[in-house]
Amino acid sequence: MVRYASGSRCVDGDRVTTPQQGQRTYAERDAVDFVIVGSGAAGGVLAKELATVGFNVVVMEQGPWRQPSEFTHDELAIEQRHDWLNIATEPYQTFRTTEADAPRRNTGLNLRYMRGVGGSTVHFAANYWRFRPSDFKERSIFGSIPGAGLADWPITYEELEPYYTKVDWEIGVSGAPGPFDPPRSRPYPMPPLPIKSSGVLLERAANRLGLHAQPAPFAINSELRDGRSACMACGRCANYGCEFGAKSSTLVTVIPKAIATGKCEVRTDCTVFRVDTDKNGRATGVVYWDGEGRERRQKARATILAANGAETTRLLLVSTSPQFPHGLANSSGNVGRYLMFNCYESTFGRFEHPVNEYKGAVAGRIILDFYEHDAKRGFYGGGGIDARFPYNPIGFALSILPKDIPSWGSDYKRALRDYYTHTVRFTGHLTSVPQRANSITLDSEHKDSRGRPSLCLTYEDHADDRTTQHWFQAKTRALMEAAGANKIWDQPIAPSDGSVQLLGTARMGNDPRDSVVDRYHRAHDVPNLFVCDGSSLVTSGRGNPTMTIQALAFRAAEHIAQFARSHAI
Amino acid sequence: MTHRELLPRRAFLIDAARVAAAGWLTLEVQLLAACARDTSSRDTGFAHLTIAEGRTLRAFAAQILPSDDGTPGAEEAGVVSFIDRAFGMPFFADSVTVIRSGLADLDARANVLGGRRDFASASSADQIAIMRAIETTPFFVTVRTLVVIGMFADPSYGGNRDHVGWSLLGSEHRPSFTAPFGWYDTHLAPGASTGTA
Repeated sequence: MVRYASGSRCVDGDRVTTPQQGQRTYAERDAVDFVIVGSGAAGGVLAKELATVGFNVVVMEQGPWRQPSEFTHDELAIEQRHDWLNIATEPYQTFRTTEADAPRRNTGLNLRYMRGVGGSTVHFAANYWRFRPSDFKERSIFGSIPGAGLADWPITYEELEPYYTKVDWEIGVSGAPGPFDPPRSRPYPMPPLPIKSSGVLLERAANRLGLHAQPAPFAINSELRDGRSACMACGRCANYGCEFGAKSSTLVTVIPKAIATGKCEVRTDCTVFRVDTDKNGRATGVVYWDGEGRERRQKARATILAANGAETTRLLLVSTSPQFPHGLANSSGNVGRYLMFNCYESTFGRFEHPVNEYKGAVAGRIILDFYEHDAKRGFYGGGGIDARFPYNPIGFALSILPKDIPSWGSDYKRALRDYYTHTVRFTGHLTSVPQRANSITLDSEHKDSRGRPSLCLTYEDHADDRTTQHWFQAKTRALMEAAGANKIWDQPIAPSDGSVQLLGTARMGNDPRDSVVDRYHRAHDVPNLFVCDGSSLVTSGRGNPTMTIQALAFRAAEHIAQFARSHAI
Repeated sequence: MTHRELLPRRAFLIDAARVAAAGWLTLEVQLLAACARDTSSRDTGFAHLTIAEGRTLRAFAAQILPSDDGTPGAEEAGVVSFIDRAFGMPFFADSVTVIRSGLADLDARANVLGGRRDFASASSADQIAIMRAIETTPFFVTVRTLVVIGMFADPSYGGNRDHVGWSLLGSEHRPSFTAPFGWYDTHLAPGASTGTA
């Protein structure tokens, strides 16, 4: 009897098989139909969709193939040492506020993402908010912003809606309708996860202030579905892998299905460092280092970059040639530019009774009353508010207590006992203004351990971003008061110096002069090169971009397959 | 792992000082990257610390997280064993010097302040006074961070013995939970939506 346990692990009697065992493999010299760089949110979806309709696909992944059964709750390894992240392997990045400044070592948050099959969908918190119709035309609605590059998307919510629904049903999203939801063509496939104390408190506060709380949508199973477990409420969604396979990462959803087609190979521990082109300006495939550091090639009829906003940028910028002296697909000069992080702010509160935020999924209820920007506020910006608490014992003890509590000694220890199980955090997930000067470039001086230029971040929050953060912090404080907290403290608002959300660096658009890819994610400059990941986003939404990235990937896959079938690549 | 570039001590201390200043960032404890996961050295003396260093560090850790109010502190959690093991990592060599000189400085201050042989022999009040005088130094920030990590990290790293750190916080050590999770969802959901609370 075959049954599924621990997500993608297939147990057949005594024989334990994993998805990569028996997967189809391709020879390097064979030109496959598609090589996809990255196995994360977008890469996993593209691989499954293209392999399912019969194309030969090789997915290049720089990290290892971990099984859910290997995942632990080891906070030191995951949250302090960052074992799974790029910064554990390549910690050297540089930072400057403006292009006039000299880059210096980034001692801040850095550009961060997960290395490994499934990418950051393995360790993310799985909040799956849809964008709203207004997100795709904010330039038309709001107008221009001084010093910013706010632009409409080349597609509408209505065009993307069927693919949002595809994510709901094929990836697996739990949730329930709310008063501000955009139109949806099909209900959620699963009911929401159970409410937590923090959700009860946020809902109580919303009711008192005339606002509306609704269950948070999650890419987490709330019931047995698709051969995967329901959420076991272990409390380690954010930053950790789900050992139960309940979190709908691409590792346990689309990638096993892509492998099962017999058409897809996921090649792990392979770092692509160049996209090759021929004299006609067409991509011929990728060059990469394998696990032993040997240089290898994979030929392909078309290349798809889905390596996240930082690594996609790096690949395009390093893949220069006489025909593309400023990097591949960069005739606009906008590769790496219009980087957006999603601003946020937080207010903490302590409550009389235990809330035990360390149990259950990371958030419970959300408030979307302030999602839309509102000209009456006098600035560009909007956001959603949720009760979200991604803190575990070490992180909490090091940095979360109110500032008027000593950081050591008897009072410190007493406060840890009093606060850990009683603390709630309300957070605003906010817009970031797209600005051309905010960018990822290649550092001209510093090299990483493989001799490549280090990633250089240039970033300065727009004045409206700062205003948005303070405006929302007043809201989350008012909510915390209305919820009845007996102690309230703010997370100080600080300038951005890194993020896990790496958006906008190869933005979509109809005009090749100011965008990198067209409405089908095809590079304006290279007919058989496609880019689909966070870099495609034109505006930032309100945090939680993965739902939209995957909807874009489902849509892109459908169009790319049509182009391939009609010999239009 | 072969490509791991380890943070030099200087960079770590800058990070640590930044945490002390900003307070809200999770410290990147790259210095712990090769921390061995074995329990063989438990209670058999130190692998890297001298007996005198261990004595001073133990007193220091016991002031960061005291054993008081009838609950365990750094002492019961075995925090010093955790730090001793952290000392064993090759790339930690530079930081060891800073911590060692900081521990010696604690002993010297105890001698000046109260004519004591070392920091551990000083009265609790004197120990606290000495620590207050140096609490913004890289030495203090680094060791305080290590004490906290040793208290709350997975016990396989040598601290948090018998999960005393997690128990102190009131955190149940279980692989999964079922709703309700806290007081408010037990007593107020789902009726909370009517605003009755």
